[in-house]
Amino acid sequence: MKKFLCATLALIMCLGLFAGCAPAADNNGGNTGADLSGTYDITMWVSEKEGVADQFQSQIDAFEAANPGITINAKIEGVTEADAASKVIADVATAPDLYCFAQDQLARLVQAAALAKPGKAAQDVIIANNDSGSVTAVKVAGEIYAYPMTSDNGYYMYYDKSIITEEDAKDLAKLVAACEKSGKKFRFALENAWYTAAFFFATGCEHTWTTDANGDFTSVNDTFNSDKGMIAMKGMQILAKSTAYDSDADKFTDAGVIVTGTWNAEAAKTHFGNNLAATKLPSFTVDGKTYQLGSYSGYKMMGVKPQTDAKRGAVLQLLAQFLTNEENQLARFNSFGWGPSNVKAQANEAVKANESLAALAAQNAFAVPQGQIAGVFWDNAKLLGAVAKAATSDAELQKGLDDYTKALDAFTSLTPAQRAAFTVIGGIKDTGWGTDFEMKEDPKGTWTSVEAFDLTAGTEFKVRQGMGWKVAFGDNTANADTSIPLSDKPNYKVEAAGKYYIQLVVAEDGQTAVINLVAAN
Amino acid sequence: MAKKIANENANPARTKRSMGVKVGRRISNTFVYIVLILMTVIWLFPFFGIVLESFRVETPQQVSYLWPKEFGWDNYYKLFNETDFMRWFINTGFMGICTAFLQVFFILSVSYTLSRMRFKGRKFLMNFMLILGMFPGFLTMILIYKVFAEAGLTMEMAPVGLIIVYCASSGMGYYVSKGFFDTIPKSLDEAARVDGATRFQVFYKVIMPMAKPIVIYTILMGFMAPWGDFMTASYIIHENSEGMNVAVGMYEWLSKTNLNTHYTMFCAGGVVVAVPVTALFLMLQKYYVEGVTGGAVKG
Amino acid sequence: MQKLSDLQYLKLTKLQRLWYNLTLFFFSIPGWFLKLGRSILGFFKKVGSGFINFFVDIGTTFSKGNWAVKLSFFIFGFGNLYYGQIMRGLFFLLFELVFIAYMLVPSGGIYWLQKGQWFQKGATIGTVQGGSSYDPIFDTEVWHAGDDSVKVMLYGLLTILFIIAFIYTWRLQVKQCGICMDITAQGKKIKSGKDDLRSLVDDQFHKTLLSLPIFGILAFTVLPIIFMVLVAFTSYDAAHDGYSNLFSWVGLDNFNALFDFGSGGLGLAFGEILSWTLMWSFFATFTNYFLGMFVAILINKKGIKFKKFWRTVLVMTIAIPQFVSLLYVSKLFDDSGIIGKLLLELGWFPQALLDMNINSLWDHETSARILLIVINIWIGIPYIMLMATGILMNIPSDLYESSRVDGANAFQQYTRITLPYMLFVTGPYLLTSFVGNLNNFNVIYLLTSGNPLNTEIGTAGGASIGSTDLLITWLFKMTLGSTDAQYYSASIIGILIFVVVAVLSLIVYNVIPSTKNEEDFK
Repeated sequence: MKKFLCATLALIMCLGLFAGCAPAADNNGGNTGADLSGTYDITMWVSEKEGVADQFQSQIDAFEAANPGITINAKIEGVTEADAASKVIADVATAPDLYCFAQDQLARLVQAAALAKPGKAAQDVIIANNDSGSVTAVKVAGEIYAYPMTSDNGYYMYYDKSIITEEDAKDLAKLVAACEKSGKKFRFALENAWYTAAFFFATGCEHTWTTDANGDFTSVNDTFNSDKGMIAMKGMQILAKSTAYDSDADKFTDAGVIVTGTWNAEAAKTHFGNNLAATKLPSFTVDGKTYQLGSYSGYKMMGVKPQTDAKRGAVLQLLAQFLTNEENQLARFNSFGWGPSNVKAQANEAVKANESLAALAAQNAFAVPQGQIAGVFWDNAKLLGAVAKAATSDAELQKGLDDYTKALDAFTSLTPAQRAAFTVIGGIKDTGWGTDFEMKEDPKGTWTSVEAFDLTAGTEFKVRQGMGWKVAFGDNTANADTSIPLSDKPNYKVEAAGKYYIQLVVAEDGQTAVINLVAAN
Repeated sequence: MAKKIANENANPARTKRSMGVKVGRRISNTFVYIVLILMTVIWLFPFFGIVLESFRVETPQQVSYLWPKEFGWDNYYKLFNETDFMRWFINTGFMGICTAFLQVFFILSVSYTLSRMRFKGRKFLMNFMLILGMFPGFLTMILIYKVFAEAGLTMEMAPVGLIIVYCASSGMGYYVSKGFFDTIPKSLDEAARVDGATRFQVFYKVIMPMAKPIVIYTILMGFMAPWGDFMTASYIIHENSEGMNVAVGMYEWLSKTNLNTHYTMFCAGGVVVAVPVTALFLMLQKYYVEGVTGGAVKG
Repeated sequence: MQKLSDLQYLKLTKLQRLWYNLTLFFFSIPGWFLKLGRSILGFFKKVGSGFINFFVDIGTTFSKGNWAVKLSFFIFGFGNLYYGQIMRGLFFLLFELVFIAYMLVPSGGIYWLQKGQWFQKGATIGTVQGGSSYDPIFDTEVWHAGDDSVKVMLYGLLTILFIIAFIYTWRLQVKQCGICMDITAQGKKIKSGKDDLRSLVDDQFHKTLLSLPIFGILAFTVLPIIFMVLVAFTSYDAAHDGYSNLFSWVGLDNFNALFDFGSGGLGLAFGEILSWTLMWSFFATFTNYFLGMFVAILINKKGIKFKKFWRTVLVMTIAIPQFVSLLYVSKLFDDSGIIGKLLLELGWFPQALLDMNINSLWDHETSARILLIVINIWIGIPYIMLMATGILMNIPSDLYESSRVDGANAFQQYTRITLPYMLFVTGPYLLTSFVGNLNNFNVIYLLTSGNPLNTEIGTAGGASIGSTDLLITWLFKMTLGSTDAQYYSASIIGILIFVVVAVLSLIVYNVIPSTKNEEDFK
């Protein structure tokens, strides 16, 4: 009996599998303005904040009104944008058709094939209407994958006017002292990499990743473990060693100062009342030198899941475009205080007058646009905050930085051959400086690119080793000049357009090199 | 009578058998009362706290004082009108009831068979289930999730999927009730068999009526399971508000982004969940005690 | 080591007895391993001989059987039909037809087995990779679904199980034909279909009762576990989820990570987490056990009134769903919680933590761990209290009577009678409870979610690791909580948890007398 059940079960499962495949779309309509009318049942994930889902529903109603013939039955779920990507990646097959997420997850989503590229027309609309930072943010390896929705995913500082003067708010040590004096908390999530980075960016440290077209991370440029990083660690200790410090910046209890973003604007108003003041982050002083705290500036975006039916895909793209347009971004600003990415919406008077967005704008002058960053950074850089708090000696601080580097190395884990190999990177093939192209070494020690590139005059590129920037050759005059460090050569500039193989001949001592363009027939 | 003596003798403070016995006992009893009252305070404090905080109106955040400055039903009002709590509550109750009855069927079948019948492969079956039980059950969720997702038993249909998960393998938890069946004399079965009853009739007419305590215990355990489950449920529900049970739904309210606005609402929800479940539990406490004791002795 | 007779043993002083027992314990350890080895060997021998017997049996049946029996080697149930067992015969025949049809239809069994490229290192599971293309008509991208590795693996596995079932059924029906032939030869009557049905509620009633539960266990526990064990040999992770990107067979490569003891290595993380997991289990089990027993004794003390009330108060922690009570309690203790704040204000907060500028007990490894164990006492005492109450009442009263005559005081009565009795009776419970604590997801996850972060390990297995993470919460984070989910690592850790639990159980079963024969104390 059992076996029989097994057998039927197996058969039923097989049948179910095939029932799952949807037939291809009918081919109706010409090249442009294809008929999109029909009824679509879609699922959507938006911020779990109260009222957001309802507003999206009313915007969808507006979309239906604007596009007669299209009926959308949307099921809208509230899912934290921070978690959306991991939930989508966990199961792409049943993921929602439309979802909102924070930009740092874009590369992983592309890698998981969970995002469909907007059509050509839609891409033009995106580029024309949104600020350049947000347009960069929706790109992976030069291709647009999502619709910018907000440009406010950064942080700044709220403080209590009654205990801190505007002047004191510019210096970290004074802020800390004021909080200690009044028994209030200085809330700053140093144990969250997104915030930890503020101190490192202050001293000029860098952390950027390159990805290939699949969204896979290929290499990292990281200078956290350096003298500058050490200064950052010491800067963190000014705050972390204080009794006023609290690493939980999602709570306002007893807060005198809190470093957070627009999503807490409402809560900040409730907590501080009339004493509310918002401004950029302070600066700190280590060994007599002063450093202005940096930050990450980030974006939130809306993506469309790849669809098997072209028509349905086109409708979803149209809907996503509609939901992220000027009018709807402004509506979200008015209801929830979300800072728009749409340039026209940004020019709106109310947006300009918003205190929180003004503080964010002030901080943005020192912010680093947050590109694609691997999870290994988030998981390990946050430990630096904990280390700074616990460490009692420079050696412990250094150990923290070393552990951090080790974790990154383990992640990138290039093989020795990959570390030794040279690759071409630059403004070739529209991919921008995000992609490395492979080179092969011949027995004589000359490196030649595997493929030939169509280069236009003025295109800049570099040839680098181990997908890092410690050894990178560029302009031939500089390549021959040993006084310019290997990590700091200017780019190679293409003089005449043409289809070339890129070739690198490195001198035996490894200190100088010549880059040649070999015309491809 | 025997019980009474045993109790008396279990008295650790009793040291003498003399004139001083009564005085000594009174002193030691005072000590025991102090300990018990202290424990009562510790044990009830959180529950007392959660009820008080659920009535706090002035701020939804976490605060460091216990007594609300302003009492009101606002949190309860919001709970039922502005959130999906009612839906989660119904989901969980539905799961509880279905799980309870299906589990009774599964667990009693297995435990009764293993306790009363001797057949080829019985020992193997018991060892096999013992070894299976040593794998972390959570590991199975990865595949089950995939299959359920394909079959449409996740997200808004998660309650159905979860009932299947809770019940399908519940036969492995036969130990407590097998222990109970072991204590029913076999001569009863044999007498009935001699009278010409089939095994089914023995099970249905002779054993079942005697097994009331264990049936109630099993139902109670089955009913309670979905209320406390977070691990399995969060996996199957996959963030779909319509399919959530109370644990997964309310867990989100204490996440960093929601804590400032939902803390007191969590307390209110906690009270709403705890009251019926606790009442039921306390009503059936007698059977629970029998199960726990029997289960422990029989292992 | 020489064993002493009872008489010799009684002559020893207390200290000598203790020493004797200890040495006995340690000397017996090699014995267990020998026993274990022998039983494993015995198992394989049994399997081997079973395998041989299988063919011998079948061979004998074939050579001895008449033409009907011989034919049923090829046509299932032919023998049954021939001897008049219509129902069985048709059932077997149907089974064979379904099997053959399933194997041969396009995208049936053979198809799935091929797609899986089973155990070919480096080969993908499933052969068609999904991808998108540009559709100029609608100016949009279209997704072309490929194979889903998870499905391919699952159907392949089901097919393999189906084949095993087929072979088993083949043998079963051949054997039955042989039996029918023998019975007919002896001139006896063969069971009819009606008899078969009747026996399902009588002689074979266990089959009826067990069929559904066992089917449930096979489908929802055994099959997923086999699947997950197989995953350990693949590259199944968040980046290769089977649907968007196929995953492949990698042989034993994943296990290499277990020997990586560097920062972020699976080996280091496993060692650290296991040691805390065992520590936690030990304290959680034994603090509850002894304190719970103590409370039971207090409540049962003669002259104490309102016994039922005290019990009911304690039982509240069992009745109220854990996610309510634990989440609330965890908030009570954090730096803005009522108790956390109170400790700070009263100056009772550990100065050592304040010196490190930590003002929540949850934020430091040691204090968080201690607090977990303390809160677990709050959760756990009631269970033991209830259980102990029942057991204490069962202790034969004459034991106490005679000991009192001998002049034993209450403490001596406790250590000589109550405790040994309790330990004897609840030995198996202690094991279950220890294993339960080893996998106690709720208490840890709801109270701390594994935090504070462990700066030494950082991330391992695709999950960021905290100082209070147990193996089971680590497993949870590995599969659900992160975009770097590594299902293959989860599988390896799952297998290791099994090994840990199995070894512990083995030791306990060999040490505690009551587990060997539960009839002893009746």
